[in-house]
Amino acid sequence: MTVVRARPYLGTLVEIGAQGPGAATAVDAAFAAVARIHRLMSVHEADSELSRVNRCAAALPVPVGEDLWVVLKAAQTLAEESGGLFDISVGGRLAALRLLPDHGAPPAPALGDWRDLQLLPGRLVAFARPLYLDLGGIAKGYAVDVALQSLGDAGMTQAWVNAGGDIARFGGELVPLHVKHPADPTRLVPLLSWRAGAAATSAGYYAPRRNGIPQSPLIDPRVGRPQILDRSITVLAPTALLADALTKIVALDPARATPLLSAHGARAFILEGRPDGDVAVFDSASSYLSEEVSHV
Amino acid sequence: MKAQWHLAPALLIPAALSAPAYAVTYYSVAQAQQALFPQANAFVADALRLTPAQQAQIGKDAGTPQVTSEQPVWRAMANGRQIGWFIEDEVIGKHELITYAVALDMNGAVQGVEILAYRESRGSEIRNPRWLAQFQRKHFGDPVSLGVDIANISGATYSCRHVAEGVKRILALYEAALK
Repeated sequence: MTVVRARPYLGTLVEIGAQGPGAATAVDAAFAAVARIHRLMSVHEADSELSRVNRCAAALPVPVGEDLWVVLKAAQTLAEESGGLFDISVGGRLAALRLLPDHGAPPAPALGDWRDLQLLPGRLVAFARPLYLDLGGIAKGYAVDVALQSLGDAGMTQAWVNAGGDIARFGGELVPLHVKHPADPTRLVPLLSWRAGAAATSAGYYAPRRNGIPQSPLIDPRVGRPQILDRSITVLAPTALLADALTKIVALDPARATPLLSAHGARAFILEGRPDGDVAVFDSASSYLSEEVSHV
Repeated sequence: MKAQWHLAPALLIPAALSAPAYAVTYYSVAQAQQALFPQANAFVADALRLTPAQQAQIGKDAGTPQVTSEQPVWRAMANGRQIGWFIEDEVIGKHELITYAVALDMNGAVQGVEILAYRESRGSEIRNPRWLAQFQRKHFGDPVSLGVDIANISGATYSCRHVAEGVKRILALYEAALK
C-alpha cells in the first residue's frame, strides 16, 4: 500500500510518501521525526534547542543533543572545506536584515564567524564571540535524511521525503526529476531521471523583495550581504543534508565548489533561464550516480 | 577553474518541455477527520455562521482577514461526547491554493494540521473561478492529476507562510465563535 501525506513544517510543506507494509504508521513516524528536528533547530521559536544555544553559548558551553550535534559538526566540516563560504553563523546578518527574528538574543552585530563556533568534547557548544547560528541552509536537508532513514528502518520498499524542494528517495522507479524554471517558478522543467539519492535546489525566486530588489536569504560571508540570485542551482548528493548545504556553496562560488562536490560524491547543475523560455543547464560534470541518474 | 564547468551548457531544455501546473490531493475530508481524530466515531457538521462583528474580530486577532462568513466546522465525537473540533480551511497564495484541516482539542489547542490538497499554477489561473471549480470540495478524494508528481520536484521552497497564517486565523475563529 502507498501512503502520501503533507504537513507544514520547517517553514515549508513537507510531503512524505511510502510503500510497504504499515506505510501509514511509518509515514506518521517519519513526520514525527521531522517535527522533532523542526522543534530543535528552528530559529523562529525562542525555546528551540538552537535558540537556547544562540542565547547562551557565548556565556558558557551549552550541552546539546545528538541531532543538533550532528548538524553542527557537518556544518563546521563544510565551512572548513569551503573556506567559510558555507557559514551557519551568518544569522546575525539575516536578523539585521529582518529576515530572522532576534528573540532578545545579545546583540551580535556579525562580529564572529564559523571559526568562533567551538564544538567541545561531551557535545558542548561554545561561542568564542557572540554568534547567531541559523541552520536554514542545512537543517531541512537533515530532517529529510532522518525522516527517510526512519522509513527505511520501518521496512518500506519505496519512500520519499520532499521538504519544499529538498528531496530524498529510495526504492523507486527511474523517474524524471523536475525543477522549477529559474525564470518562472510556476513552470517545471525535467532535469534528469533518477531512482535514489537526494537533491536540493536553491534559487532566488521566492526571496522577499525590498525596493524591488530580491533579499536573498543566502548571505555571502565574504561581503556580509545577500547574494542576488538570477539562476537556480540543483545539487544531487548522497544525503539531503549535503545537497542542501552544497547548493549554497555552488551559488556563491561554482569554481571553488567543484572539488567539494566530487569529494562528497555530489553533482551540481546551474540552470539559467533564456529569454525564449529555454533553460541552459551547466553541469559540474562529476560522474556521480552514473548508474542511478541519466539525462532525459 | 571555470573550465571544470562546461562553458557551453551541457544541455538545453526546450521551453516546450516545461510543465505548467500540478495538483495533488492527499486526503478527503473524511480521511483527514479519521487521521486527526482516530479515537472519534462520529463527526457532526456544525453550521457555523459568523456575524460581521465576529469576522472583524477574527481578522483583527489573526492579522489576516476572515473572508467568508461560513467556515466548514465539524465536532469530533467519541461515544456521544465531543472531543475536539475539525476545521477545514483554504489559503490562496500567489501561485498556490492549499486546502488543509486543523484539529483542535476542547481547549482550542492545535492537535494537528493536515494538508488535504495542494494546487499550483500560474498567477492568472489561481483566482479564476473556472480553474478553481475543478477542485471544489465534491471532488475531494478523487484522484486529481495535473502535470507532474510533486514527489519529484526540486524547486526551492514552497512557502507554508499562508498555511501558518491560516492556522493563526483558525485559532482566532475558535476564540471568537467556538469557545
